[in-house]
Amino acid sequence: MIAAGVCVNFFMPHLASLVTGVLAWTPFLQPMPGGWRDSVWPWFMLPLCLAVSVVYKSIKCESMRHVPRQAVEITVWIILGMGGAAALLAILVRSVEYFHG
Amino acid sequence: MPTTDYSALVSRRSPTTVAAAGWLVPGAGYLLLGDRARGLTVGITVVVLFVGGLLIGGVRVLEVPGYGPHGRPLETVVVRDRQSGLREDVVEETSDENQRDLGWVMRVHPIDEIRNKPWSIAQVMAGPLAVAAGAGAVMASERDVATGLPVGARSHARVNEIGVLYTAIAGMLNLLAIIDASHRAAQGSPQGAAQ
Repeated sequence: MIAAGVCVNFFMPHLASLVTGVLAWTPFLQPMPGGWRDSVWPWFMLPLCLAVSVVYKSIKCESMRHVPRQAVEITVWIILGMGGAAALLAILVRSVEYFHG
Repeated sequence: MPTTDYSALVSRRSPTTVAAAGWLVPGAGYLLLGDRARGLTVGITVVVLFVGGLLIGGVRVLEVPGYGPHGRPLETVVVRDRQSGLREDVVEETSDENQRDLGWVMRVHPIDEIRNKPWSIAQVMAGPLAVAAGAGAVMASERDVATGLPVGARSHARVNEIGVLYTAIAGMLNLLAIIDASHRAAQGSPQGAAQ
């Protein structure tokens, strides 16, 4: 019952707006619907990182058999690197705000 | 046990041919060298990334040099201004009597126009797919007769950024693959560049 209540009150309005947006969407002529809040767009970096890793490793590896494992490995490293850089920048910004704000 | 003589296979392909094939169809440079798995992996990845960018931001994430926001050719004009005298400007429609048309901007100032749309250099590296999508972007920018608005909507903010990023990186990755494939052709071995 609680789960059904949460579903109806929380997820359904978002789901309804998403479905309405998708149905009204003309691919290629209109940008992708979906709200585009700040929590959404960083997820689009994941396929980008994966694509860069796949092409890079396809060029570097002598045998294509090693590419899938090494591409996933380097994708994880890129994401960790970007996360680390984001954390460092956040600390820097907070520090500047603290000392000069 | 018989072994594949790669040098005999690739010696028939000049690096220029391989590079041209790689631009025409992403990954085709490797296919010409007989490296099917590498060619398909790179080609499919580049095409999926490029098409993904167009899906995210719409086809109008591609800014085509020489064409304006309403899909018309940009003209270089000399404008007579009361304050600053004569000055050059780039406009999409030359209806003003105080303007003298110097011609299409890509003929008069091509470098300046491309410099104004730097992402187009990276995007066009994805090959004829990018050229066709650019033509689609110009058509989608034209005004609809009934509504007076462009047929395709222009994305903004993050959506536009991600669309541009996807398409430009797809082009750059294809350039990387073109360079690698032609280098392998020059080396006479499919594994030449990796070595």
